Amino acid sequence: MAQVFGSTLKRREDPRLITGNGQYSEDIQLPGMLYASVLRSPHAHAKIVSVNIDDAKALKGVVAVYTGKDLQGKIGTVPTAWLPPDSNIQTPPHEVLAVDKVRYVGDGVALVVAENRYVARDAVDLIKVTYEVLPAVVEQEDAMGDGAPVLHDGVEKNVAFHWQAGNATDEVFDNAEVVVTQRFRQQRLIPNPMEPRAATAQYNPGTGEMTVWATSQNPHIHRFLLSGILGIPEHKLRIVSVDVGGGFGAKIACYPDEAMVAFAARDLKRPVKWVEDRRENFLITTHGRDMVLDVEFAGTKDGQFTGIRVRNIANMGAYLSTAGPGVPTILFGLIVPGAYKIPYAGVDVYGVFTNTTPTDAYRGAGRPEATYLLERMVDLFAAEIGMDPVEVRRANLIQSHEFPYNTAMGLEYDSGNYEGALDKALQMVGYEDLRQKQQELRASGRYLGIGVTTYVEICGLGPSQVAGAVGFQGGLWESATVRVHPTGKVTVFTGASPHGQGEETTFAQIVAQRLGVPFEDIEVVHGDTNRIAMGWGTYGSRTTPVGGNAIAVAVDKVIEKAKKIAAHMLEVAVDDVRFEDGTFNVEGAPGRSVSIQEVTLQAYLAWNLPQGVEPALEGTAFYDPVNFVYPFGTHICVVEVDADTGEIDLQKYVAVDDCGRVINPMVAEGQVHGGIVQGIGQALWEGAVYDEQGQLVTGTFMDYAMPKARFFKQFETAFTETPAPQNPLGVKGIGETGTIASTPTVVNAVMDALRPFGVKDINMPLTPERVWKAMEKGRSQA
Amino acid sequence: MRITFQHTYAATREKVWELLQDQDTLVRTLPGCKRLHSVGDGLYETELGLDVGPIKGLFAGHVQLCEQEAPARYRLKLSGRGKPGELSADSWVILEDKDGKTVVTCDADAQVTGLLASVGQRVTGSVARMLLGRFFKNVETELRRSAS
Repeated sequence: MAQVFGSTLKRREDPRLITGNGQYSEDIQLPGMLYASVLRSPHAHAKIVSVNIDDAKALKGVVAVYTGKDLQGKIGTVPTAWLPPDSNIQTPPHEVLAVDKVRYVGDGVALVVAENRYVARDAVDLIKVTYEVLPAVVEQEDAMGDGAPVLHDGVEKNVAFHWQAGNATDEVFDNAEVVVTQRFRQQRLIPNPMEPRAATAQYNPGTGEMTVWATSQNPHIHRFLLSGILGIPEHKLRIVSVDVGGGFGAKIACYPDEAMVAFAARDLKRPVKWVEDRRENFLITTHGRDMVLDVEFAGTKDGQFTGIRVRNIANMGAYLSTAGPGVPTILFGLIVPGAYKIPYAGVDVYGVFTNTTPTDAYRGAGRPEATYLLERMVDLFAAEIGMDPVEVRRANLIQSHEFPYNTAMGLEYDSGNYEGALDKALQMVGYEDLRQKQQELRASGRYLGIGVTTYVEICGLGPSQVAGAVGFQGGLWESATVRVHPTGKVTVFTGASPHGQGEETTFAQIVAQRLGVPFEDIEVVHGDTNRIAMGWGTYGSRTTPVGGNAIAVAVDKVIEKAKKIAAHMLEVAVDDVRFEDGTFNVEGAPGRSVSIQEVTLQAYLAWNLPQGVEPALEGTAFYDPVNFVYPFGTHICVVEVDADTGEIDLQKYVAVDDCGRVINPMVAEGQVHGGIVQGIGQALWEGAVYDEQGQLVTGTFMDYAMPKARFFKQFETAFTETPAPQNPLGVKGIGETGTIASTPTVVNAVMDALRPFGVKDINMPLTPERVWKAMEKGRSQA
Repeated sequence: MRITFQHTYAATREKVWELLQDQDTLVRTLPGCKRLHSVGDGLYETELGLDVGPIKGLFAGHVQLCEQEAPARYRLKLSGRGKPGELSADSWVILEDKDGKTVVTCDADAQVTGLLASVGQRVTGSVARMLLGRFFKNVETELRRSAS
């Protein structure tokens, strides 16, 4: 049969999604359904003196109004699920609705449930709340300062946790030939998936079963957590997230809204729907990044890196979101040495409460921030010692014969050919010619910049033992069931929960290739806790390396059983049967064969099965990876900066990524494209801004710049394939590489262009105004 | 957010002062003023109906005139709450004599919450200046009417 694995098939989910036939939470319509709307705090920090709901309750069409006090004792608090070890982490309660105090603009104060969504919204405006406004703090360093307002009783200086790792001592830096220091500001980003969050809850009073259709990247984790919050046992609680319009990390967290909608559905014995509007999405759905990073980078005069040390002050927002504490610690800290042989590395991380929206994972989650500071430091170091940024990288990259490679942060990188990817990217972009062109243009007052990033990513989260050791309150294995039906059609049940990444296509390709059945005969089922026994979801580029390999192992179990039945049908010993391309052949007897479909039918008819073999044909695997996977690559960007206006022209973008074996090049390239766009969004345009009172100033698309297709020229992308040695498919993750690599690549390019002005660093986003001001400063000092 | 605004009247300080402190004049001159009810000590309950860009809706709140130093300066506080959010402003209004004319300077520190902040903040400054402009123009109209 044709090679399915590695071939460019069009995404089979797309016709459904682009013709309006998807099944998003908002599409759920149920008889007697009510609509919910939440009254949200207009203040960043205030005591709730009183809440008067009389007028709201009196409005025609209003069915119920709940305040925080009404829910007290009837519903649990929203838990934090990632508790980094040895960090003295404080997890003050996060009430579903605020009771005594609000801590950020958007904190829920009351829930209205009404016959339709218009009445629900009108009723929200009729609730009268008296607040005693308290001083607010929005910057993490201010929050740690003396006299700063304290958000949570007993959390001194608002420090939620303090985590350290690594081995970079003072001695390393005191004895270094060259030390470069720099402070970077990772600005706060707002994820903005196309579909905002939504939840529709239905309670069956007869059976006690609750179904919640919700926007989730990890429905089983949400079942786990909501079960605790609501007091509904897991076998009575079903979470359904079939089609989800993007998540980017923002749909990992467990939020108060889904819990209170479910609570109301049970209390009122009627279905209740809540759909977040775009303004709410800006205000209450988790934000990303927001770190202040102080970096020391040491090396020798001839270009060898000897040490890196980082202090990270991370803004966690008003409460610790579900996976929030894992982002600036584990996911950030462990990858700080990057793709280089750096003998000493250390991180020192403070997680700080402020009167802002909670932060959690955002595409790349910790790894973009670490890669950014490292790749920026490498460029600053290269400039300091007068070496080309490509050559300094080449001198320090881990070599392909050195894998598996143990890093200063205790990771074991699985495989790589870092220089191979670098050389390919240099050749694609024409590096030498570009440097020549740069010189020529500078002579005529034009400023070309070339930025390079050689990255490695840690993904495929992750081995369950490691997850436990780093404080993730769960395992990170994945489940798969491959059910072959009597006619040979296949249903694949995956515990990963894709929400736009195309795994309905790529997972079917895995099965088609391995089981030898037609691609069209395979259906992939995901996102429903009643159809799938257990799963840990989609994030951290884990879906293919963990979920995909679970499917491969499940297919192997199917083949193992089918082989016994085939041997029985062919009247030979099992050891004499060979399986290839969907056919069981007898070794040394050409022409004697049965197809997988024939075997399947016999498995179900079960009239004549070998002794001890049960009827039916399906395989279930619970696959726990032995290690993370480490995709890598080189991105190069060419920009020209307008010397008069500071505007940046993105002229060329080359990405060479290696995610092991590529299942579907088009789907992989799509992931790279989206990732690059989001990463450049951070570099050049995006940034959440709060005023001093904690009001979100960038609360609309008029004020928060999202990248648009017309901002970009065609990207030039390519893959190298270095198989992952530690999993059956040889695959690594590709969902976040673009975001991780592109931000430092573009900023390095702009700084390279600005070198004649003596500019070393500009805080992101690199708006024309900031770039122009930096050039003006350079001009005035020249 | 700091907002300053200046307007020059062809009248004496005393005359301008008198108008600015007069309740009936305030009702007529405050933009969108639907109600102004004195509750004593220079404090008024008020309802303002505003419709300028995103700042649209009925705002119920208080206006307070205090710390008067006639005819040189006084403090004007404003607080209002409406569907789009809450607004508050604390300002000094200063009257200076310049060649028989009166230069009135308003120096305000304004804060907004809710929709006003997340949607409106970008334009709140210019809207506030526009509203102050209307107020001072309206006062000028009153001045002319009282003179004629």
